[in-house]
Amino acid sequence: MIAQKLKHFQMETLNNLWQFRARNVFSVTIICLSFLIVGIFVSLSNNLQYTAQQLSQDMAVVFFLDKDISPVDRDAIARELENSPLVQTTQFVSAEQAMGKFLDKFPDLQGIVENLNLNPFPSSYEITLQDKDLTYEETQLFIDRMKALKGIEDAQFNKEWVEKMQSLSRLARAVGFFLGGILILASFFIVSNVIKLNVIARKDEIEILRFVGGTNVFIRIPFLAEGIILGALGGILSLLLLFIVIKLFPVYLGSSLGILNELINFRYLTFSQSIALIFSGAVIGLFGSLSSIAKFLKS
Amino acid sequence: MIELYHIWKQYQKPDWALKDVTLKVNQGDFCFVTGPSGSGKSTLLKIIFREIFPTHGQIVVDGRNILRISDHKIYRLRRTMGIVFQDFRLLFHKRVFDNVAVVLQVLGYPRKELRRRVFNALRMVNLNHKMWEYPAQLSYGEQQRVAIARAVVNKPNIILADEPTGNLDTELAFEIMSLFSEINKKGATVIICTHDRELIRHFGKKIVFLYKGKLLREENI
Repeated sequence: MIAQKLKHFQMETLNNLWQFRARNVFSVTIICLSFLIVGIFVSLSNNLQYTAQQLSQDMAVVFFLDKDISPVDRDAIARELENSPLVQTTQFVSAEQAMGKFLDKFPDLQGIVENLNLNPFPSSYEITLQDKDLTYEETQLFIDRMKALKGIEDAQFNKEWVEKMQSLSRLARAVGFFLGGILILASFFIVSNVIKLNVIARKDEIEILRFVGGTNVFIRIPFLAEGIILGALGGILSLLLLFIVIKLFPVYLGSSLGILNELINFRYLTFSQSIALIFSGAVIGLFGSLSSIAKFLKS
Repeated sequence: MIELYHIWKQYQKPDWALKDVTLKVNQGDFCFVTGPSGSGKSTLLKIIFREIFPTHGQIVVDGRNILRISDHKIYRLRRTMGIVFQDFRLLFHKRVFDNVAVVLQVLGYPRKELRRRVFNALRMVNLNHKMWEYPAQLSYGEQQRVAIARAVVNKPNIILADEPTGNLDTELAFEIMSLFSEINKKGATVIICTHDRELIRHFGKKIVFLYKGKLLREENI
């Protein structure tokens, strides 16, 4: 008996989807585009988050030394760093090593550096901090104390960058959810109205089903299944579209933005985010159809 | 079986569609409700299968006051009834077979049994050879017979028919009424609204006369 009813629901749902295919395609498109917006921002946020994580793993402070620092001052600085409880590791990077690192990263610029006829890179101490939960202020205090030492010209600390990245990531996600939220709300009403049109188009059938003893659940299920399928399909298509956007975006940008490419690069959604997106589509479809059929059955 | 007590129905003030109708239809009765247009025949049927509520009065079907059945349980009452509407109410995008099968699908009949019953119901109305056609491909009389097959396919205890022979020629009307008579002989209670006196004279066992919403008289033949 249950198997027969399930078969009936399956057939009815597929028939409905096919019978009103034009407006169903319309509502799937709207859901798809709404979720694509959310997807793009979540993807962008993922990327910023990833970059922030990379930076925070390498939570380093670099103390650049004066060009003409005396060996005594350099030793004093090294001692101070080794004795500090905040410092985990210390590494001295000579001017030659610094230039080597730079040329490894940017081999295209080798010609320019060679034309300078001198090494513009200062020697430095690269240190990693003991505790990654240190506040920005605490770290800054340590840096200021070190900078007061003779022979240190400047200091560079990437925690500020990490925090900026994280803020930017949160902002991208918030913007995504805000814009996406509005669009998803709109798509909810569109799905709801599309289903309502389908319900109205099948008004006579619903009436007959009620007169021959169909329960409200029996009447409702094909419409709800229809809503869920439309929503989930919208979600799946938005993921496919997002995949295409992510693949094509770097091609469109080319290498004109150089290092910034890495920052505005899109990283695809995680598995759980993809599932959540499809699930949200299905839920929107479900509630969209539930609200329209409920109103109809009540009347 | 079906008992109506002091039924009043008002759609719009100040007119009354039914005025204090008290009526009893026994199990196995073949009952005609007749009267001129606007006498309240259709309203009476709609109240019996609870498409609408009466303004006053009570209705008991099979010992249950149907006005007290909640909306989500009304399907149980409807499953004991077969209804033939004046306008047939067929699904034109579905085949004849599916139009009749819908009643059994609601009840979750196994496919094999469903096919057998639908085929038998269509054979009874002599339309088994057209079961894969669409209603639009059928004549008016054939459409009416599909509606009858749908009403009887689950062998209900009560058949309600609203002007089932309206707009049909006499020969077809007699054919259809014979079908109801056959169903009645198998034990179903049949209530038919019609103003066709010829049919009433020929088939009627119990006749209820309505006039301007009032029950004028009952006759048992």
